[in-house]
Amino acid sequence: MKIKLTSASYSVRSIKFSFCSNLLAKPRKPSLFLGRGIEIILFFSYFKDLVGREVTVELKNDLAIRGTLHSVDQYLNIKLENTRVVDQDKYPHMLSVRNCFIRGSVVRYVQLPPDGVDIELLHDATRREARGG
Amino acid sequence: MSWAGPDDIFLSTSLATYLDKKLLVLLRDGRKLLGLLHSFDQFANVVLEGACERVIVGNLYCDIPLGLYVIRGENVVLIGELDLEKEELPPHMTAVSETEIKRAQKAEREATDLKGSMRKRMEFLDFD
Repeated sequence: MKIKLTSASYSVRSIKFSFCSNLLAKPRKPSLFLGRGIEIILFFSYFKDLVGREVTVELKNDLAIRGTLHSVDQYLNIKLENTRVVDQDKYPHMLSVRNCFIRGSVVRYVQLPPDGVDIELLHDATRREARGG
Repeated sequence: MSWAGPDDIFLSTSLATYLDKKLLVLLRDGRKLLGLLHSFDQFANVVLEGACERVIVGNLYCDIPLGLYVIRGENVVLIGELDLEKEELPPHMTAVSETEIKRAQKAEREATDLKGSMRKRMEFLDFD
């Protein structure tokens, strides 16, 4: 909020308030750090680089879904495309599901393609986080 | 849910692409709800229109209509978009009435309880 004083004598009655244009812009992005430290960023950035790769997400309820990683967000929610369930007979209700949104809190594992992992890069990034954290 | 502007809605994990689509929502307690996505928020709280619960017991299933449902995000496991061109369930499954499926559910529950109690009894006997 900017306060503009219109008169040279700075008398109170001529103070003009001009509201910052930010209020009309789209919502401010919430802080990516979530108060839990900078470690969250590492996995978010890592998954962002894996977008477009084929992954298998295993959930805490033992459901395993294979699909192309479409997107990931700061909560590590995952959106998959071209999904198929690993054990289709056990989960008949998932037959016609081709795209899904998976809440980050229910993921147990994300199984990655072996060539999708640049071990050296990950090690460096982890070392950097450990030093900074 | 990421903060998506109007331009990057297709690249983000926003549920906006699922609005007014028929969805399958899996809940933490194992329930499967189907319905049209009316609205959502950053916690994955979801409002489903024309919701029904699909109860599946073995080869039997039943859709129990529920109406307008508000689901708290912490209970959501997965939100899947149902492909209208494909069959939602394998052909060998048969639709039954609500009372039938409740009876089948009860029988299944009793069977698992029995298995559990038998196992406990065996463990007490401490077989090697």
